[in-house]
Amino acid sequence: MRYARLFGLFLKASFLVELEYRANFAARAMVSVFWAGVTLVGAGVFYSHTDTVGGWTFDEALVIIGLFTFMGGVIQTFLQPNVQRIIEMIRLGTLDFVLTKPVNSQFMASLRYSQMFSIVDMLLGVAIVVWALFRLRYAPDLLTLAQFALMLVMAILIVYSIWMVIATLAFWLVKVNNMAELFNSVYDTGRFPVTTFQGLIRLALTFVVPIAFITTFPAQSLLGWLDATTLLAAVAMGVGLFTASALFWRRAVRSYSSAGS
Amino acid sequence: MAHQIEVDRLSKHYQVHEKEPGLMGSLRAFFARKYRVVKAVEGVSFNIDAGEMVGFLGPNGAGKTTTLKVLSGLLYPTSGRVNVLGFIPHQRQNEYLKQFTLVMGQKQQLMWDLPPMETFLVNRAIYEVPKGDFAAILKELDDLLELGPLLKKQVRKLSLGERMKCELAAALLHRPKVLFLDEPTIGLDVTMQARIRDFIAEYNRRHGATVILTSHYMADVTALCERIIVIDRGRLLYDGNFRALIERVAPYKVLKLQFERPPDLAALAQFGTVARADGLTAVLHVPRAHATDMAARLLSQVEVDDINFEEPAVEDIIRQVFAGQVDGLLSETGMARAS
Repeated sequence: MRYARLFGLFLKASFLVELEYRANFAARAMVSVFWAGVTLVGAGVFYSHTDTVGGWTFDEALVIIGLFTFMGGVIQTFLQPNVQRIIEMIRLGTLDFVLTKPVNSQFMASLRYSQMFSIVDMLLGVAIVVWALFRLRYAPDLLTLAQFALMLVMAILIVYSIWMVIATLAFWLVKVNNMAELFNSVYDTGRFPVTTFQGLIRLALTFVVPIAFITTFPAQSLLGWLDATTLLAAVAMGVGLFTASALFWRRAVRSYSSAGS
Repeated sequence: MAHQIEVDRLSKHYQVHEKEPGLMGSLRAFFARKYRVVKAVEGVSFNIDAGEMVGFLGPNGAGKTTTLKVLSGLLYPTSGRVNVLGFIPHQRQNEYLKQFTLVMGQKQQLMWDLPPMETFLVNRAIYEVPKGDFAAILKELDDLLELGPLLKKQVRKLSLGERMKCELAAALLHRPKVLFLDEPTIGLDVTMQARIRDFIAEYNRRHGATVILTSHYMADVTALCERIIVIDRGRLLYDGNFRALIERVAPYKVLKLQFERPPDLAALAQFGTVARADGLTAVLHVPRAHATDMAARLLSQVEVDDINFEEPAVEDIIRQVFAGQVDGLLSETGMARAS
């Protein structure tokens, strides 16, 4: 409860910062619409040559594109700004102020600064998903929605954990910005159903960098195609990665060297 | 527990990587790093009681900041035992974190794009300060530091001094019992330094808070701290009363003389050690105990245009301590503290 209130306060402060820079907000909104457009047009080009890609029709693939855009929004809004901030705080030593506060340090470090502009992406993503369902003339029932909600929470936990592990590496490697870039490039594959990829790449996208759990599997659950094994795997993956990231963070704080004087 | 802060044979070693200058050096360091162990703090022990104000003195890289960071739980000691308020700092228990504060002149916690008040509100929630208490504490800090209009200006538009005042306020909203102040006046002009100094003294008086202060400005330490701890190259050189150290290292007063005609140096030497003499001025070191007698005798025997007594410059004394020119300081440390 206390943490929910603190998170609210962090969001409020972040929002106030954004209000300071109105022009930036307008620009960001345009960037979001532009990239969603690029993804949609790209998919359109694909499907002008074929009816299905990796077993997904255009309308079904739209659900993935919507989720891809939504999760991209989650990353841009909450994860990337905080991870960049963590890297900077480790480099400059200002993480001192986080570590001396009587509050869980990972919570504070990872949720302190949000980039509220990027909520536009999350809204666009939701819009695309709703549009896709509309085109499919499909209304998921309550159980499906509940499964989808669980899959979505796990997807967010998975992305969060991956980003936190990258940020935590900065305790030793200091500059890890390029690793964040690397993740972004891999994440780009999430706009396609994982079934598009073959062999090793598909295995890697499922288990090594589990992009499949972030877009494809939640989309499947919304469409009601999900089997129990994948659901369990998602829960195991989400909870497992989150626990690992938390343990890794705790280990890292021990070896924090607090740069500067 | 006898003391509020107990440090027993604390050591902190870092591993740093070294790099030869230039491109080749950087390339070599990229592929194969050479590591070296830096002993930032080596076997330092001291105790501090509630309400004391203690100054940490030492040149850059002496280990002052490292010690403060160990006390704040930011760094794990390599060896030794540290206890503050009955807690082991590096366990970073919330009950401990709520009772001290860390202010660093070189780093800031205020949110850059927002007015300081927004950071204050976040800190209020983090430290769970009740609304009524918060208003009272803020009012007091406002009175002491004259924050007034600053609270509503964006931090990036504040001057360095204004920002430091707000940093201090942000760090004291939870009314900590122990204050770790690392270079709180760095970069400030003389007036602002004095303001901050007065504030720290007043805060200590009102709330009986324990203060550990590091500063490059000797004036900060002279004005605030009766007791100093001198650290150099990670080792404790002196722990005790500041005045006692001065009297021990510089048992003389400085007598500045101005003449109308060049003086006879041999004649001057019978009154004290001639530290400097050029043309029409001379500086004598006169034993403290006989300073007044000597001056009177000198005035009666030598023709002097102007005469002036001064205390030896603290900077010079500390420099002597660092240069290892003062023997047996450590053995006196215990005695000095008892007195």
